[in-house]
Amino acid sequence: MSNFIRKQLPMLFAFFAGMVILVAFFSGKKIITDFRSDMQVWVSIIGGFTLLLGVASISSVNLQKVITRGKDWPYKLVLLVCLAVSGGFGIFQGTESGTVYDWLFQNMVTPMMSSMFAMLAFFIASAAYRAFRARTLEATILLIVAIIVMLGRIPLGQLLFSELPVITEWIMNYPNLAVQRGIIIGAALGAASMSIRIILGIERTYMGK
Amino acid sequence: MNQTFLEMTVAGFLILSIFSFLYKDNPFYRLAEHIFAGLTAGYYVGLIWQTVIVQQLYVPMTQEGKWEMVFPGIMGILMFTRFFDRLSHISRISLAFVMGNTAGIFLVQQLHGLILPQTQATIINPLSGNWLFGIIPGGLVIIVGVITTLVYFYFSKEQKGLFGKTARVGIVFIMISFGAHFGYTVMARLSLLIGQVKFVTVDWLGLFNLN
Amino acid sequence: MVLLATIIPFIAGFPQPIHISKESRDLYDWVENIPDGSTILLTFDYYPSTIAEVEPMSRAAIKQCWRKNLKLITLSTVPLGGPNIAERVLNDMATGWAVEEFGEEKKYGIDFINLGYKPDYKAVILGMGDSFRRIYPTDFAGVSLDSFPIMRDIDRYEDVEFLFIISDNGIVDEWITIANRQFGIPIGSGVTAVMAPKFYSYLQSRQMVGLLGGMKGASEYENLVGAEGMATLFMGPQSTVHLIIILFILVGNAAYFIGGRKP
Repeated sequence: MSNFIRKQLPMLFAFFAGMVILVAFFSGKKIITDFRSDMQVWVSIIGGFTLLLGVASISSVNLQKVITRGKDWPYKLVLLVCLAVSGGFGIFQGTESGTVYDWLFQNMVTPMMSSMFAMLAFFIASAAYRAFRARTLEATILLIVAIIVMLGRIPLGQLLFSELPVITEWIMNYPNLAVQRGIIIGAALGAASMSIRIILGIERTYMGK
Repeated sequence: MNQTFLEMTVAGFLILSIFSFLYKDNPFYRLAEHIFAGLTAGYYVGLIWQTVIVQQLYVPMTQEGKWEMVFPGIMGILMFTRFFDRLSHISRISLAFVMGNTAGIFLVQQLHGLILPQTQATIINPLSGNWLFGIIPGGLVIIVGVITTLVYFYFSKEQKGLFGKTARVGIVFIMISFGAHFGYTVMARLSLLIGQVKFVTVDWLGLFNLN
Repeated sequence: MVLLATIIPFIAGFPQPIHISKESRDLYDWVENIPDGSTILLTFDYYPSTIAEVEPMSRAAIKQCWRKNLKLITLSTVPLGGPNIAERVLNDMATGWAVEEFGEEKKYGIDFINLGYKPDYKAVILGMGDSFRRIYPTDFAGVSLDSFPIMRDIDRYEDVEFLFIISDNGIVDEWITIANRQFGIPIGSGVTAVMAPKFYSYLQSRQMVGLLGGMKGASEYENLVGAEGMATLFMGPQSTVHLIIILFILVGNAAYFIGGRKP
């Protein structure tokens, strides 16, 4: 019984869910597509709980560090307080504009997240001087095309050479397109075979130990 | 967005705290980092509570009589058994259900949504499309590029002889594409910095007016 | 040096030509040809980190749509911030720009609506193909969709004219392979410059009608809509910083080769 719940039952659920999608796609009958649609609502709800699982994990780890006065525990306490405040206002006051939840998001989360990504510009500048070397033919081609595209995408580039934007567009619409399509097709073939393996229960690594 | 000076000061202080990491790790950065992590996690709590637990479970069950929604609710709660070693295997049921659904959608997406239309769009007149400087036909570039890229990424066969030469052409195409990608990536990252600089210098501190 | 290159154009301000790419023009033209008064889907599929790059696209899209009196159904598949970003931008445009342009506000529930967020984007996009209301029984605030005039007779992709995606992640693939391929809704998108190179394949295969790539794409679109905003303003600093980066690459390589290829 234990083995059935550990292995066979989850495989049956995966097979059933996958087959509903495939049968609905090929048959197109309303009774099956309606059932597929209801199933998507169920999956969406379970997906929401999965997000909460992540939050619960963060809370548990950091609470442990605060209780045991581990390394940097004051920072972990700040984290937990912020979590409680933001989550609490979200639950009791709501999440729309004009709430404390929304205020925290617009005036604290947004600027911080934007800054974290904006810092990458400095690292790119540093790497441009120190690491981007035309050591091989391939690297030289990469750098030359990068410079053409970087110039072609700015108005100053058009002032330098009027055909630069046209050349850039051609690079994007032809050689770049071809490579991206090759990668898309290759990746799609791999993803399709993985999907079949999951539905048939051959691939079970997502279940863990 | 119309922010008050207090709101801009809070945002500006946090922005500068994050940027202080460029000098070195420091308490301001670590504080901002942990505030960010806490607020983000709390954001998820509030969002899922309202959009899933209230709007998709509580209201349908209690106000619309859809008591069948208790089943996805239970399956969602079963996910939390992962915290308990003796019960963690029960969460596999919910996980497998979601994975099976995702795999089914994925299969249709990849075959019907990607491989077929993309392959179809590659079967074109080689002389079609824009010609670069009137010399290189775009259509031919697409056909040759797709085939040589696929050949390059086929690692089950040793790349030598004609196969190896074809892969070599593929590498040239890939480097062109990666160069273009690099140029676009630089553009993207710089755009984000410009936005933050504008906020700090113009909106918050009012150091100068925009021209 | 990078910081200075960013700040100086803000102070000096130099006007620069904007070359309009074909993919931006195609997107603009497609929206222009949608019958006035129709309903379209507009997504806010981006995180707060890329607001500087893609929010100008959202604003320009709203301007073009509201000038044609298109009704906007907005939603987000991004859990961190999407629905709140949508709220802020829509409220700002509806009470600010719309009053300047039309002399009156745009009304929530009549001219636009924010459906918010629901988890698991694949399930959401596929489920919406059969019924919007099954996936989104209410709007973001929890009010039943049936109480809004904008949602009257709208419940599936075939009831809307167009899907305009503004995104900073790979969700565009999901919309194209599910919503466009399986349910036939035409799609156009504005994406960050990091994502843009990948989507040229979809343009050529006609799975997408137009594409805005990064801040340059946003500035082109603002130009076409006739409402120059932040993206057009930011092209000045963008130009100078690009030149700095190119200079760094050239000087770095010159030093490398002159120095006998020593790392």
